[in-house]
Amino acid sequence: MQVFPIRHAAAILKTTLAKGLDGHMTTDIINILMSGIFYASTLFLLAAGLQLVFGVQKIFNLACGSLYALGAYTGVVFVEQFHNMGISPLFSIVPLILAGLSLFFVGIIIERGLLKFVYERDESFQLLLTFAVVLMIEDIIRFIWGTSPKSTSGVYLVYGQIHLLGSVIPVYNLIVILSSLLIAVLIGFMLMKTRFGRIIRATADDRQMGEALGVNMRIVYIKVFTLGTVLGTLGGALVIPTTAAMTEMGVELIVMAFAVVVIGGLGSMKGAFFGAMVVGILRSFAISTYPELELLLIYLIVIGVLVFKPEGLFGGSRA
Amino acid sequence: MILSANEIFKSYGDFGVLAGVSFQIHEGEFVSIIGPNGAGKTTLINVLTGLLKPNNGKVFFKDHDITGIGPAKLSRLGMARSFQLVNIFPTFTVMEFIKLGVLSRQGKGARFYAILKRDREVNEEAEEVAQIFHLEDKRDVQAKNLPQGDKKLLDVASAFALRPEVILLDEPTSGVSTSEKNKIMEILIDASKKMGIKSIIQVEHDMDLVFGFSDRIIALHSGKVLADCTPAEMEKNEAAMCAVVGEKGCFKICSSLLE
Amino acid sequence: MGSEPNGSFAALIRKRQTWLLLAGILCFVLLPRVGGQYTSYLVLTFFGYGVALLGFNLLFGYTGLLSFGHALFFTSGAYTVSYLTAKFAIPYMEVSIVVAVVVAVVIAALIGAICVRYIKIYFALLMLAFGMLTYSFLIKFYYITGGDEGMPVLRPHLLGFDLSSMAKMDFLTGWYYYYVLTVFIIATWIMWRIVSSHFGLALRAVRDNPEKAYYLGIDVRRYRWYAFIISGAYAAVGGALVAPVIGNVDPTLTYWTHSGTLVFMTLLGGFTNFLGPLLGGLVYIFLQDGVMSLLHYWRFVFGAMLAFIVIVAPGGLAGAIELIANKYCAKKGA
Repeated sequence: MQVFPIRHAAAILKTTLAKGLDGHMTTDIINILMSGIFYASTLFLLAAGLQLVFGVQKIFNLACGSLYALGAYTGVVFVEQFHNMGISPLFSIVPLILAGLSLFFVGIIIERGLLKFVYERDESFQLLLTFAVVLMIEDIIRFIWGTSPKSTSGVYLVYGQIHLLGSVIPVYNLIVILSSLLIAVLIGFMLMKTRFGRIIRATADDRQMGEALGVNMRIVYIKVFTLGTVLGTLGGALVIPTTAAMTEMGVELIVMAFAVVVIGGLGSMKGAFFGAMVVGILRSFAISTYPELELLLIYLIVIGVLVFKPEGLFGGSRA
Repeated sequence: MILSANEIFKSYGDFGVLAGVSFQIHEGEFVSIIGPNGAGKTTLINVLTGLLKPNNGKVFFKDHDITGIGPAKLSRLGMARSFQLVNIFPTFTVMEFIKLGVLSRQGKGARFYAILKRDREVNEEAEEVAQIFHLEDKRDVQAKNLPQGDKKLLDVASAFALRPEVILLDEPTSGVSTSEKNKIMEILIDASKKMGIKSIIQVEHDMDLVFGFSDRIIALHSGKVLADCTPAEMEKNEAAMCAVVGEKGCFKICSSLLE
Repeated sequence: MGSEPNGSFAALIRKRQTWLLLAGILCFVLLPRVGGQYTSYLVLTFFGYGVALLGFNLLFGYTGLLSFGHALFFTSGAYTVSYLTAKFAIPYMEVSIVVAVVVAVVIAALIGAICVRYIKIYFALLMLAFGMLTYSFLIKFYYITGGDEGMPVLRPHLLGFDLSSMAKMDFLTGWYYYYVLTVFIIATWIMWRIVSSHFGLALRAVRDNPEKAYYLGIDVRRYRWYAFIISGAYAAVGGALVAPVIGNVDPTLTYWTHSGTLVFMTLLGGFTNFLGPLLGGLVYIFLQDGVMSLLHYWRFVFGAMLAFIVIVAPGGLAGAIELIANKYCAKKGA
């Protein structure tokens, strides 16, 4: 039994650095980084959706993980359909993206059917409502797809692998990372340059501002929540080739997503990005050195952030 | 000298609110702080009561440096405050509200095991306070169901229940109809005498009340003390009056001088 | 919100309070005779959860802090019993309960020191995280915790009596039932004194208006911390009481959805009322038993119920009862 895990991890770091460009160790680092960044990419999509909704509507959507799971299952279905239609697996990314986007209506249903009734209520109650949504979506998934995990076959490997600095990286991972980056850029562009984005930023700062500007807040809320939903479902769909869709996916992700938004700062997009990177790489590092500490390590950072800089890296004056 | 503010500076980023405020309050004084909106009055109260830390300057209370120590510690030292905007515990009944102040003063806040209703000391003292504030017939009404004037009175009553030596009242009669204002002021003065309060500082807009009750007036403008003198001296300084009070007040003063 | 109702129905209740309580206790006492073993078994689990719920609502209903990770204390209590009876061969239930409280107080003091600086969402989610951290810890450190299979709970000695020769259900619905009922009554009485105390009033002030509470000399953070510790201790006692009933403790006890169950029970019964969460716990346990056997998709049903409660009837069952009864009393001119 390893009594001093920190020593163990530090030892790995030390040998890695000492051996420098010795191929084997660098490969380890590259692998850790790449899988960390890959995980971060999907986490970012989820966190971005969370931040958007929190920034504008001040609601922390516990159901974001469930939406992620929903996206994953739908992704499997869409990919299978594509295969059945005889389209080459190389285009699998298309049905995955379509799957993510097609679930936008779920966002509308949740927002108009449930959320709109609690905007003026206490934060705890809003949180409880999203918890109710978690329960409902969980059983909806069970109802449609049953309890056994679903996965796509062969899609992952279809894209092949490339060699980077001595380590082998699946191309699909790179595609996902690039897609996330692209979406991050698009979101950034939207927030900075479009009218809708300006409205979002204004209401994030000051809720009444939006109404004062004569904007129809109801429509804004619907749009924002739908966008947040789609980001979550997209994240889930994109991750499908690498893992199976399971009902527990969503639940475990909440813990990660919370870590991301605390580290990055609640309500901040930049925070979602950097928070996701920190969590993703940290997790990857922990898994390959001392897996028992995976969650603990991440949460030690979370507690550290909460104690020393409660607004997070990029957060505003909200705690 | 019971309370003194020394060169208080407070700004939010680049936005300066208080630019060097100094004054002293002595035992037995009733001081009114006046000034137009935005002069920094509420910020000053927040700094005086230790809620806000000033960027520069200190506040002394009975020789203790109380700058930024926080309202809880301050209330134990003997200073309390009421709020401009109604600040209540909505679900509390009137008696519960007052009892909270009383038990806090008696140092019984952390008693887990004694039943509050049976605590005679607390009950008697709370009853006393309720009567002084003419709230005893509303004792079981929930705070949120009280009329606006009574809500403010309750806020003040709970602060008085702490039996502080100095009390700061932030616009105690705002939101109250003109006919009620004098009555409230009288209740406050009466309460202070009965409960051993040594000094009262109030922020007030109603000039009749200010001139009718104060021993001293401190006029605040743009974060600075414009004038610090007795009501009589203040009336003579028309220029200061107009600058601070604005046209409406000027009209009143001018018209009363003309009579 | 508020726990001192002013309606005439409440006043009516208060006059006959003692009689109603005695009647309730009598029902519980007689249940194993008239209700059958299975019902008694369910009510037995209710007693354990009831203690935990009292603690939870001290934090939520009275102090205004929603914890989505309270199951971790419940679990600590349960695991304590398992360790003591199985691993350390100390079979005395009384020892288990005391140790469970001590362990929970230590954990709560540490976690609370971090968490009470935050409120609302941050607090709820931090507790969720701590709950899941506990889950992760229990699974991964399997060499001390038994991993995902968990550990067994041996039958404890009650008041020094070794009852291992009895049949399981006879033990549970006989001796153990009355033992737990007694602990439940004592725990409820203690909690009633706590919320009726000076401290209780201060907590409600902290809940309603922390700023004003500061100005009345109440150290808000410290009082939240106290409430957190008491609430954790109660949850641990609840878990300790339930452990011998389920016979085996495993990490799923601290999964966030189990914490969610505590929250749901409280909301269902009504958090604005002292007895509300207890009512919610009782109803939930029977509901779950009934619904789960009929419906495969009980989570959806419970989710929908929770949504309904949050949107339409946040006062829960107790709130609804009060509302209806007040109208009835008003009509009668009571």
